[in-house]
Amino acid sequence: MSELITRPTFLSRGEADWYEEKLPRAIRPYNSNPLRTLAAVFLVVFFAALLGISSAYLVIEREQPLNAVTIGPWHAYPKAGTADADPYSVAIYTRGALVPLASGEGLALIARQDSSGHLLDPTCVYRIAGQTPTARLWTLTAQDGRGHLVETLPGRVHLASQSLLRDPEGNFQITAARNPHSGNWLPLAEKAKASDGLQFVLRLYDAPVTTGAALDGVSMPQIRRLACP
Amino acid sequence: MTLSPRFSLTVGGLATLCLAAIIHILVVLGIPHNVQHSAYDNAAAYGPDRRFNLLPDVEPGQEALPDLDPAMKHAVCRFQLGNGPVLFDASIPAPFWSIGLFNAAGETVYSLNNRTAGAERLSMLVLTTEQLSILRENPPENLEDLIVIETDEISGFALLRAFVPHPTRAAEVDAALTAASCGGI
Repeated sequence: MSELITRPTFLSRGEADWYEEKLPRAIRPYNSNPLRTLAAVFLVVFFAALLGISSAYLVIEREQPLNAVTIGPWHAYPKAGTADADPYSVAIYTRGALVPLASGEGLALIARQDSSGHLLDPTCVYRIAGQTPTARLWTLTAQDGRGHLVETLPGRVHLASQSLLRDPEGNFQITAARNPHSGNWLPLAEKAKASDGLQFVLRLYDAPVTTGAALDGVSMPQIRRLACP
Repeated sequence: MTLSPRFSLTVGGLATLCLAAIIHILVVLGIPHNVQHSAYDNAAAYGPDRRFNLLPDVEPGQEALPDLDPAMKHAVCRFQLGNGPVLFDASIPAPFWSIGLFNAAGETVYSLNNRTAGAERLSMLVLTTEQLSILRENPPENLEDLIVIETDEISGFALLRAFVPHPTRAAEVDAALTAASCGGI
C-alpha cells in the first residue's frame, strides 16, 4: 500500500534534483570520505588481529592436540610428535618442548574428566577400576591441570602395573586420594586447591595398541568420584 | 554508488573474519619457528653431545624435560651426524627399557623397546645414506648384529628410558644408563 502512495510523489520531483536523498541508494552518487574509510579499514584490521591471535592462543594454550582418540574419559594422541602431526599438535609440542612417547615405546592416555564427565578435582577421592589394554607394563601418574607433577604425602606420584594388588581374576581397584588408603593408593597433591586441576596419565609400554586404529574397542579403566569435601 | 549501512557492516564483518582466519593460521604455523627452547636445546643442559647424560630423577618441581614418566629413569644423548655415524650401545638390567630417536624439531624418527630390539643388548647404528654407502665398502665385523637406521636428519637426540621396578634397583639402573655409549664406531 505505501508503495502506491510514495511512487507518484517521487516521480513528480522532476530531473533537477536526481542526486537528492530520495534516490535509491544503489544509484546515489558516492561522496568519498577518506577519514571514514581509513577508520573502517583500521577497525577491520584491529579486530581481525585480535580475533586471530586470541583464538590461536586459546587453542594452543589449552594443550590438547586435535584429532584425539577417545575411550571413555581417556584421550590419546598417537600422531602428535610425529611427522604426520597436524599443525596444532606441532605448535603445542614445540612450544612446550614436549618429548612424545614414540610408537615403538608405548602410548600415553590422559584423563581430564571422570567417567561421568565432571572435571577431575585434586581434593576429591576417585576410584579407578577395570581393565587396561594388553601391555607389558603400564604406569599411572597423577599430575596437575598444567601437566606438572605435584608434591604428595609419601613423595611418590605414580603406580606401576607390576606392583599392584589384584583380585583372582586379575582386575584391580585404585583409590586416588590425598590421604592414605588401603589397597592400591595413588597419592594426589598434598596442598592442592580445586582450581589447580588434576590429570591422570596412563602410560602403556610395549602395547600392541600404539596406533589409533587398534584402539577401537579396547577397554579402559573407569574413573568414579567417590567423595568430595 | 553508496552501500546501505547493513551491507557495509556485513562486508566489514566478513573481511574481519577472513583476515582473522589468515592471522590465526599464520600464528599457528609460525609458533614452531619462533620457540625459544626446543627439547633439543633443553637436552644440551645435561652434558656434552655424543654421550648419554643421565637426567635427574623425575620428581615434582624438578622435571628435566616435560612429560617424562616418574617411574622411569632417563638418559639423553644429542648427536650430529655431520660428525660421523652414531653407535648406540647399552646393556640395561631392567624389565623394560626403550629408546626413542627424535630430530631437532622433537619429532619421532625411530623407536624400539627391549622386546622389539630382539636382544638384551641395545646396539643400534644411526647414519646418513652417504655414510652407509661408505660403510658398506668396508663393513665392520659386527654390522650384521647392529640395528642400522638410515636417516636424513642431521641432528637430533636419543632418549633412553629404563623402568625401575623397585627403589633398591635404582643404583643399578643408574649405572647402566651412565655406562651406555653413544659415539662413533
